[in-house]
Amino acid sequence: MPLELHDDSATLVGVVTVDEVEQLAGWLRAAKKPRVSLRRCNHLHTGALQALLLFKPKISAAPTDAFLAARVLPLLNGGSGNASHKGNDP
Amino acid sequence: MNPLLAQFLAESNDLLASVDEGLLQLERDPGDPELVNEVFRAAHTFKGSSGLFDFPELTRLTHAAEDLLDAVRGGRLGLDSGMTDDLLAAFDLIRGWLAHVTTHERLPSSAGNDAAGLITKLRAPLGGEPVAHTQATVAAGVTVIDAAPEWMAWFDAEWLTETAAWLETTASTMRFVRYTPDSDCFFRAEDPIHLIRQVPGLDKLGVVQPEQWPIPEEYDEYVCLLSFVVATRAAVGELEYLFRYVPDQVQIVELDAGAITRHLSGEPPLKTEERVVVAVTEVVDSELAADARAVLHAAERILELAPAEGAHLRSVARSVSAAARALGVPEDLADAGREAVGAAVARLLAEAAPAPVGALPAAGSPITPAPAAVAAPPEPTGRADDPGGQVGTKVLKVDQEKVDRLMELVGELNVAKNGLTFLADSAEEEFGSRVLSRRIKDQYAGLHRIAEELQSAVMDVRMLPLSVAFGRFPRLVRDLSRRLEKTIELVTEGEDTMADKDVIEALGDPLVHLVRNSLDHGIEPPGERVAAGKPPAAKLTLAAVADGDAVIVEVSDDGRGVDPVRVKRKAYEKGLITEEELESLSDTEAVDLVFRPGFSTADQVSDLSGRGVGMDAVRASVEKLGGSVTMRSKLGQGTVTRLRLPLSMAVTQVMVVSVAGQRFGIPVDLVVETVRVPAAEMGRVLHQDVVVMRGEVVPVLDLARALDMPWTGDPAEDRRILVVSVNGQRVGLLVEQFHREVDVILKPMEGLLAYADEFSGTALLGDGLVLLVLNMKEVLGLAARVA
Repeated sequence: MPLELHDDSATLVGVVTVDEVEQLAGWLRAAKKPRVSLRRCNHLHTGALQALLLFKPKISAAPTDAFLAARVLPLLNGGSGNASHKGNDP
Repeated sequence: MNPLLAQFLAESNDLLASVDEGLLQLERDPGDPELVNEVFRAAHTFKGSSGLFDFPELTRLTHAAEDLLDAVRGGRLGLDSGMTDDLLAAFDLIRGWLAHVTTHERLPSSAGNDAAGLITKLRAPLGGEPVAHTQATVAAGVTVIDAAPEWMAWFDAEWLTETAAWLETTASTMRFVRYTPDSDCFFRAEDPIHLIRQVPGLDKLGVVQPEQWPIPEEYDEYVCLLSFVVATRAAVGELEYLFRYVPDQVQIVELDAGAITRHLSGEPPLKTEERVVVAVTEVVDSELAADARAVLHAAERILELAPAEGAHLRSVARSVSAAARALGVPEDLADAGREAVGAAVARLLAEAAPAPVGALPAAGSPITPAPAAVAAPPEPTGRADDPGGQVGTKVLKVDQEKVDRLMELVGELNVAKNGLTFLADSAEEEFGSRVLSRRIKDQYAGLHRIAEELQSAVMDVRMLPLSVAFGRFPRLVRDLSRRLEKTIELVTEGEDTMADKDVIEALGDPLVHLVRNSLDHGIEPPGERVAAGKPPAAKLTLAAVADGDAVIVEVSDDGRGVDPVRVKRKAYEKGLITEEELESLSDTEAVDLVFRPGFSTADQVSDLSGRGVGMDAVRASVEKLGGSVTMRSKLGQGTVTRLRLPLSMAVTQVMVVSVAGQRFGIPVDLVVETVRVPAAEMGRVLHQDVVVMRGEVVPVLDLARALDMPWTGDPAEDRRILVVSVNGQRVGLLVEQFHREVDVILKPMEGLLAYADEFSGTALLGDGLVLLVLNMKEVLGLAARVA
C-alpha cells in the first residue's frame, strides 16, 4: 500500500499511482495540519504532486529518490506559486 | 465475448487493411511523410488497444513494429523492402492471431515464439545507431530557431544568462521543451512527471502552476493543472521519441546562445499578472468552458429576442455569472440591469470566444518554430461539439446478416404483394365484384411502388465498390512477383464501380485464379521480355466497368499470350478434342479450350497455379453466379480475360413456362426467343428433333422427357419452343405453355433437394406456388444423357 494515512500525518511509500490520487486528495482535504513523509517514496504521480502543491502539507521527511529530491522537493518546500525558479543551476 | 474485445477485433480488421495498404504504398513512395504517419498511427492505435487485453505478445510485437515505423517517420531510417517484408510479416502474424482470438478469445500458445524472431528482426535496424542521432542533430542544427518562444520566460533570467554564456563559449545548443498536458490526461493513463523523469540529460525543470488554485472544496484531483518547461541536453530525436505519444502537447525547440540572448534582451520576461491570465485560462476544464460558452450564447439570444425583466432577468444574470465563474473571470451580476448583463455577456464572449486553444497564446501563435525542431506543429484542434457543423455523413456499421434479413423480408413482401393481383382476379371472378377488384388493384399499385423503392433501397445498401474485391491484389501481386522474380506493375481501374456484395464476394476466388495465372503463365521473366522488345516491367490491369445490369471485370496482361496451336495440340493430346476439331477450330475457339475441364498448358506445375483445375473452375464459379467468362489473346502481346457478372444476384428475372402441367422458371438472360412452330415444320436429323429458323438449324429438346415427366402434347397443335442460348449454343426447348416473366428472389436448393443440380434454386410466386428454376447447363447435360 503506497499510502499510510493517519490523523494528520501520512507516509507515501514506493510508487504513488493515479489510483492513490483521490485518496490522498481526500485525506489532505480533511486533515487539519497535514504532514507528509516522502522518505520512502520513489515516484509521485502528477496528480499526487498537484494535490501536494495545492494543499501544501508540511513535508516531514525528504525523499531519498534522487529525482524527487532534486526536482520536486524544492517545489513542495517553496510553497509559493513561483517555485519553478528554484532548481539546480548548471 | 467481452464487447470491448469484439469491438477491438472489428476495428483491427480495418487497421490491418490500412497498415497493409500503407506499407505497400510506402515501398513505392518511401519519402511520403504523410503515409509513414498514417501507418505509424495505425500501428500505434493497434498497440494502444491491444494493451487493454491480456495479449502481451501482441503488444510487444506491435510495439517493435511501431518503434521501427517511428524511426522511419523521424527520418532516422530509410524504409527498404526487407523492412517492409518484416513489417508485413508482423502484421500477417497478428492477423492470424486475431483469427485465433476471435474463436478462442486468447492468443495461440505459440505466439511468444513466433513473435520473438520477428521482434528481433524488427529491432535489428534500430540497434544502437549513434550515427542516426548525429544526423538528426546535424539536420536540426541547420534549423536552430532564431526567436526563442515566449514560454522561455518561465526559466529565470539569471540561469538563462549563465547558460547562454556557456553555450556561447562551447558553440553548442540546448533543447527546450514546453509540455502542456491535456487537462484530462490522467484518464488516458498518462503521467507527465513520469515522462519528464525519463528525459535524458535533464538540466532544468520548471513546473508551471496555476497562479490561482481552485478552492479545496471544488478541486478536482483528476484534472491536470500543471504544465512543464524543461531544459535538456538530450537530442531532438530523443525528445521526440520520448514524447511520441503526446506530440500535440509538447513543443520542442533547439536554441543557441544567440537565441537565448536575444530573448533576454528583446523580450523582457512576462509579468506575473499576465502569466496568471494565461495559466488560469489554459487550465480551465475545456468541457466546462464549452458549456459556459453555450450558456453565454443562449443568454445573448434571450436578451436579443425578449425584453427580459424581473425574475426572468435575474435568472439570466445568475446563469451568466455561473458561466463567468466557469471561465475563470468571476462577474457579480446579482442586481445588474438588463444592459449590464448584456454588456457582461458580450465581454465574456469576446474574451472566451475562439475555444480553449485560442486562449493559449503561449502554446500557439508567436513562435515560428522550424519544422524539424518541433515534434508536431501546433494545429488548431477544434472541439468535436463545436457548433461549426459536422464533417461528412454519419456512417452506421451494420452486421451483414441484418441486411440479408432485410433483403429476405423485402422478397417476402414482394410475394405477399403479388398475392393481391390474384385476390383481385378472384374478387371479380368468384364474387362478381368488379369495383372491389379495381380497388384492390389500386391498392396493389401503391404497394407495388413502395415495395419497388424499398427493394432498390435495400439493394443499394448491399452495393459495395469493386475496390473491395481488388483490395487484396496489390499485396498478392507484390508477393508473387517477388517469388517469381518478375517485375510487375499492377494497375486497377474502375474501383468505384458498384456491385452487390454477394457478387463481390463470389468474384474473389475467380479473380485470384486469373491473376495468378497471368503472373505465372502469361507474364514472361524480364529477360524474355527484353528479348521480345517489351519493357522489362510487365503490366497487369484489373479493370471494372458497369454495363447496364451487369458489371464487367477484365484481367489483362501484356505477357506472352496464348498460343492457339499449342493449345489445340495439347487439347488433342489430352483427348479433349477430336482430330477434325484440331484441324477446323479457329484461333478464338482454340483459346476458349483453356476453359475445358482438365486442361493445363503449363509444362511445369508450379505451386502458384497450374494444377489443371484453373480456368474451368473459374468458368464454373462465374457461371454459377449467372455470369460468363471469355478470353481474348494475341500471341506475344497479351491476354484479356473478361468476366461479365450480374450487378445483383438478389433478384433474378425468370421466364415461367409450364411442362407437363408444372411450371418452371428459366433465367431470362438465357432466353433468345419464344416461337410457335406448326407441327409439320419440325424436322428430325439423326434422332434429334430440329427446327429450322431463319436458315439456322436449331436442335429441339423435349423438356418433359429430359425432366422425366410423362406428357404427350396434342400432335396437331403448334409446338411451343423456347430458344435459349447456353455457352454460345442455341437450343430449342419444347414446352407446354409460356407464361409471363417475373422477378423472383432465388433461394438455393438445400436440404433434401441439395443434390438436384438441374435446378439452380426455388422461388415463391405470388399465388403461393413454389417455382423451380432450371439450371439450363445441367438440364442440357441431362437431356443428352436421356437421349
